Amino acid sequence: MKKMLPAVLLGLVGCALLRISLLSDLYLRYVKEGLRPLLIASGVVLVVLGFLAALRTREPHGHDKDGHGHAHSAAGPKTAWLLALPAVMLLLFAPPALGSYTVARDGSGAVARRTTFAPLPKLSPLPLSLSDFTSRAVWDEKGSLKGRTVRLTGFVAPGNATAWQLSRVVVSCCAADARVLKVEVHGIVAPPADSWVTVTGTWRPAAKAPALDAIKIERIAQPRNPYRDSARP
Amino acid sequence: MNDKTVSRVRTTPDTRPSTRQGVSGGFAGRFLRVCLDVFVGVLVLALVAGIAVLLAPDLLARLEQPALQAWGTVLAAVVIQGVPFLLLGTAVSAAVTTLVPDRVLARVLPRNPVLAVPVAGAAGALLPGCECASVPVAGSLIRRGVAPAAALTFLLAAPAVNPVVLVATSIAFPGRPVMVLARLLASLAASVAMGWLWIRLGRTEWLRLADRPPAAADRGRLDAFTRALQHDFLHAGGFLVLGAAAAATFNVAVPPSVLESFAGSPWLSVPLLGLLAVVLSICSEADAFVAASLSGFSPSARLAFMVVGPMVDLKLIALQSGTFGRAFALRFSAATFATAVLAAALVGGWLL
Repeated sequence: MKKMLPAVLLGLVGCALLRISLLSDLYLRYVKEGLRPLLIASGVVLVVLGFLAALRTREPHGHDKDGHGHAHSAAGPKTAWLLALPAVMLLLFAPPALGSYTVARDGSGAVARRTTFAPLPKLSPLPLSLSDFTSRAVWDEKGSLKGRTVRLTGFVAPGNATAWQLSRVVVSCCAADARVLKVEVHGIVAPPADSWVTVTGTWRPAAKAPALDAIKIERIAQPRNPYRDSARP
Repeated sequence: MNDKTVSRVRTTPDTRPSTRQGVSGGFAGRFLRVCLDVFVGVLVLALVAGIAVLLAPDLLARLEQPALQAWGTVLAAVVIQGVPFLLLGTAVSAAVTTLVPDRVLARVLPRNPVLAVPVAGAAGALLPGCECASVPVAGSLIRRGVAPAAALTFLLAAPAVNPVVLVATSIAFPGRPVMVLARLLASLAASVAMGWLWIRLGRTEWLRLADRPPAAADRGRLDAFTRALQHDFLHAGGFLVLGAAAAATFNVAVPPSVLESFAGSPWLSVPLLGLLAVVLSICSEADAFVAASLSGFSPSARLAFMVVGPMVDLKLIALQSGTFGRAFALRFSAATFATAVLAAALVGGWLL
């Protein structure tokens, strides 16, 4: 059985990668969309390697006495066991995308500094991404948001008695480098934490942080890619 | 590569004596048996999973806790992001290890060690090698008569700067090519400086080379390649998970505000992130993504993380103790840490 360990581990990791990238969109909870071809290729290669390793243990030759050609036997197979942890985790219960817990731990929230703002189209309500809305709210000296009715999409993060946070988590590479975008929502009772909503309302210029006086709220399904901060769901 | 090898690969399945009877002998029989093994394995796994879910529903309830979920998400993210690059790196390094004979590298190097050190650094930069793979390669180079200084420079440079690592760095820092340049320069400077330092201060008696394991010489290169790939990937993959778990724990346990308090003091944060790289022990193909996630720190500090990580970390100290002896590994790692932090601080202050 010990000889089968490398084959089992390679197969497990390969199957886990194929499950999240080829058979579902689960990989979008962890990494960017562009990694998908690499993930599928890696999964296939690992499954094939695992199969070759299994084939080798079935060889009639009894030559495998030197382990698997170990140059450093002490740490090798022991650490390889650790690969089973993420593989089994992804196969059985893939952890969800980062949500309100990450928002609550984040300090001020990231607002990208911008100096030039294109004129906004004359739509009402106007769909905006959270990064666009927060940048305009904080940095636009001409106040392009003044008097506009906007529609924002994100998930719910609980706040204080008077307001809650409409939030997004954005990543530049993988979920380990997550940044938080958030807008204070006033005037409407908060839906349960982590539910996805579209909020229509007007900008509240007097507030310190980006804030919205909400008129209407609509529950929506979680977007396919939870980390892509787009204007429309 | 020569004709003999090719013919050996082709004839391998036929020359193996079959000891079993009937259908179980030969290639087809082995194939059937493996299929049966896989089937049984899947059944056992499904059974174990089913029992776990039936007997321990509170296990799943505990997993609902948001902190644990966030930990799992970050762990999975670092592993998923790292595995394709780790596989690419180990595939190329397995190809180099098995297809390029050591003596070719030995012949390329100049006789004079002082000149051989920068050449070895450049060779390390061109040839992709995971740090786990470069330790045995450096050991075999020394055995083949290469000057230890040059072999050690190669040991440091091969995982720290090579095409795979530089591409991974440019992906992790989109729109900041200067980070890639800074990593290249600082890592090369540190590894060449360590080679020259060894010529000046190093003593041969610190090096105690372990006996080489018997090579499977009669098996053909394709077999050697898949074995090296399988071994390197499993070995390094385990350490990748370890590093990802440490990074996830760090991510969940240390609030961003604590990190921000160090971000204010650049001179403290550079050695601090260097130390973090030692503890996290992340593979060089994947460490740029972790460095990118440490967004609270200055660019110089994150550079130190990427320069120190591939040269000194816990798994490398363990590997070097196994190959060269503990007396060497401890001295060499301490000196390399100081050199790498210094190089990162100088290059970071200049470029970033």
